[in-house]
Amino acid sequence: MSDQTAAPDQENLGAMLARRGFGRRSLLKFAIVMTSSLALPPSLAPVMADNLAKAKRQSVIWLSFQECTGCLETLLRSSAPTIDSLIFDFISLDYQESLMASAGAAAEHTLRQAVAANKGEYLLAIDGSVPVKDGGVYSLTGGRSNVSMLEEFAGSAKAILAIGTCAAYGGIPKAHPNPTGAVGVEDIISGKPIVNIPGCPPVPEVLSGVLVYFVSFGKLPDLDDRKRPLAYFGTTIHDQCYRRPFYDQGKFAKSFDDEGARQGWCLFELGCKGPTTHNACASLKWNNGTSFPIESGHGCIGCSEPDFWDQGSFYTSLAGSSATGWRNAGIAAAVGLAGGAAAALSARSKTPTIPEDKS
Amino acid sequence: MRDFNFLADDTLVDALLAEIAGLMENLAARNISGSIDLLGLPLSAACLALLEQRLGTGEITATLTAAGSSEIRETSFSGVWWSSHADETGRIVAMLIDVALVPEILKANTDDVRLSHRRLLDATGSFPHRRSA
Repeated sequence: MSDQTAAPDQENLGAMLARRGFGRRSLLKFAIVMTSSLALPPSLAPVMADNLAKAKRQSVIWLSFQECTGCLETLLRSSAPTIDSLIFDFISLDYQESLMASAGAAAEHTLRQAVAANKGEYLLAIDGSVPVKDGGVYSLTGGRSNVSMLEEFAGSAKAILAIGTCAAYGGIPKAHPNPTGAVGVEDIISGKPIVNIPGCPPVPEVLSGVLVYFVSFGKLPDLDDRKRPLAYFGTTIHDQCYRRPFYDQGKFAKSFDDEGARQGWCLFELGCKGPTTHNACASLKWNNGTSFPIESGHGCIGCSEPDFWDQGSFYTSLAGSSATGWRNAGIAAAVGLAGGAAAALSARSKTPTIPEDKS
Repeated sequence: MRDFNFLADDTLVDALLAEIAGLMENLAARNISGSIDLLGLPLSAACLALLEQRLGTGEITATLTAAGSSEIRETSFSGVWWSSHADETGRIVAMLIDVALVPEILKANTDDVRLSHRRLLDATGSFPHRRSA
């Protein structure tokens, strides 16, 4: 660590953590956890730990648009002081208006300063959809429309993180009849790398994984066709669900309090949207790995998919849904086209591109 | 909460043992280490228990206290380690089979050694009695 005596804002992460009593083994352990989370080969953990040790804190500028603050809440309340929380040492959250002490003109000044100081290098995090109807008047900050702010601050960002289903696809504000003309970030911005991290709210570990990957390897992780990190969205809830064997055996709960429900059978017939929903809830779970909705006895509502709110009842089986996309997928699932445990194995083995060592 | 673990699958365990054998061959012949991320695979607790039983327990068990507790235990097969990492709350956050002479996380890091060296010199006043001798 060549810059042990560097100014705190210039020192690398290894030096900063060492100053706070975290040795390299802690960093390696963190890297082991993160490579597992990102479905990278475990042998890459020492490389990731070395890269993190040499990296500087990553500037993140976070703008909240038409949202409920649930995304921010889930990320902040994601953990007790666990190893996952090391992520907060790796980023410099230079602007987040709900968390910062300043307000009004002082906050606007802070934003300008943060953008100027990190021009071309900062990650722009967005939560909330962007209303565009009537000139975007339905959501303003300091008198400025969300769409105007997004266009300006995306310009000098290195990449954009669309956090939550609203920022990714418009989410609940976009639900019929969409009175504010809400859209997702990628409907406005082109020509910039964008990562969608959908979910209502999103799984916090996914954001940690994306940030750590970016800090470690200087680029975004592999994405699917909807710009979602492949490592977390490459498979469906259904394919990783612990109730999947019951589905394969044709054992379904018919109501929430019948014998099948008590036996923990598959919730497909009660409207579970697991077969058509791509997310990592079944593997990462929630509340520090405690459980996820299906484990608590309720079907998946598909909150990380586009337009999930307009796809009919949460309690209508996919096989009987009137929504075209889900009906087709539901019929496919019902006739067993998905591949069971083999699919889950295959999904985990869709190893994202192994990043080059940037050191 | 019901325990939804299903029966251990011998086939999966056999497949993992074959993969471990391949990694051992690599280590013995070319000194190349390897790892298998057990939490990244859809293994039930019963499957994990069966794998653990088939691998057995070897001569060394190390406890690491860094950002939570970790246990790194050599199995009955030399160079095959069962590494289990918990966070500060005790939750298992990573579980690996490491096939290595010594797992990377047990080795001291040169940067840490450098810092510790400086700390030791500071604590002892840089051994003034030696300098005067």
